Amino acid sequence: MKLQKKIFWTFWVAACAGLIFSVGSMATSEKKNSEPAKNAPAASGDKEVIIDSYGNTLILAKEPVELMFSHKSHVIAAGLTCDDCHPDVFEKKRGSAKENGDYTMDALNEGRYCGTCHNDDIAFGTKAKDTCKTCHGSDMQPPKTIIFDTPVKAVIFDHALHTEDMGLDCDSCHQDLFKMKVGTAEEDPHAFVMDALYKGKYCGACHDGDQAFASDTRCTTCHIGVKGFDRLFGSKTPDKKHGGGEH
Amino acid sequence: MNIKELEKLRNEGVENLPSRERRTFLKAGLAITGVFLGGTVLSLTSARNVGAVVGSMPKASKFPYSPHYTMVFIQNRCIDCERCKEACTKTNHVPSYGYRTTILERYKIIGPAETERIFMPVLCNHCNRPPCVRVCPTKATYKDKKTGIVMMEPKKCIGCKTCMAACPYNARYFNEEIRAVDKCNFCFDTRLSKGMKDTACVAACPAKVRIFGDLSDPESEVYRLIHAPDKVVWVLRPETGALPNVYYMND
Repeated sequence: MKLQKKIFWTFWVAACAGLIFSVGSMATSEKKNSEPAKNAPAASGDKEVIIDSYGNTLILAKEPVELMFSHKSHVIAAGLTCDDCHPDVFEKKRGSAKENGDYTMDALNEGRYCGTCHNDDIAFGTKAKDTCKTCHGSDMQPPKTIIFDTPVKAVIFDHALHTEDMGLDCDSCHQDLFKMKVGTAEEDPHAFVMDALYKGKYCGACHDGDQAFASDTRCTTCHIGVKGFDRLFGSKTPDKKHGGGEH
Repeated sequence: MNIKELEKLRNEGVENLPSRERRTFLKAGLAITGVFLGGTVLSLTSARNVGAVVGSMPKASKFPYSPHYTMVFIQNRCIDCERCKEACTKTNHVPSYGYRTTILERYKIIGPAETERIFMPVLCNHCNRPPCVRVCPTKATYKDKKTGIVMMEPKKCIGCKTCMAACPYNARYFNEEIRAVDKCNFCFDTRLSKGMKDTACVAACPAKVRIFGDLSDPESEVYRLIHAPDKVVWVLRPETGALPNVYYMND
């Protein structure tokens, strides 16, 4: 009886493990194949949250180190010793940097974490134009155009015009004026307004009538309106909320 | 004739002209200077120029309505966010197939390879000589005697849609739910009669495109904007003679 029970439990555990493993691998393969659509739903309940950022690149909120950092290249190619980084720059415990809550690009730019060496002096900097993709993935493509639909619908921003034709660097705008993450400016619709632009925030940093056309002129250069939005994305289904049928 | 000879000609005066001829001449002059007579007297050019023809500016007391409701659009501020439209449909229960106010879009060529996008908000112009009121067989639509708002009485409407054809501004639609033509009434029933000072679209506009007020009040913003001598103010389709009360200008 006892032995039977033991065998049963062993099977049970093995079956569970197998199931979890197969589901896990399915999920990862699915993720690899799936197009990083703009509103890709983050797998709920999964601790791996996909942040669609900077064009079509997937940036994983979960354990950035796994995908971004090659320990091997630092130890073997760069010839660093353990105490170059541990424990002063990074605790030896896995995930400890993330637990601190300040393991962000801002911290790196201030010279903490990776930024200790990656400061454009010892190693490539964290702000330079083409180094983003060195850590964040090689398929990184800057977006051609960005459409803002908050707080008003809709504003077009020609990203390619600014980066290619005008030759602005990533850090001309990121992360001080705009975060890399899609939709960050729109998260605060009361701040992302024309008055803020007039005070030199957001686009207003350059669009001040001096470096670029003033943001209180040529409104419809950027504002394409609901009509422009519908032309780009197709008009949404008629809003039934205010429509007939209620009367 | 040489232009120098022209200067030497003696002024014949207007005394010898037949009165009919003189009247036509004066009418033409008024039309050219942009003065429209009838119902209300309004200058579309600066007061100085008009002064030469008709004397001083007409007094506010001559406005046929009190309050004489008017809307002024500062057109180049419009960004087509359509919050006005949303607010209007919500306030006045406008179905999705119709509109009381909407935004039109057009492109103006401003350079060899440059075009400018222009958004033009439109609504009922609450004309002083409303063609829609003239054609209505049942008097379901009428010009309110106090405010000058062109109103609808849905119960009287037989749905012949003649007013829709007559309106030069395409500001009317047939509401299937109430089986009557519906149109903008400056939110009279939903806001103005409840003591509010503006319409839903004006309140919703984030760019202050729409300015609403009493044109007969010289202290009002609409009066000030329309009578600013340094601004060009225009109305839509003036050739129809409907004498609209919705004015357009640029910043």
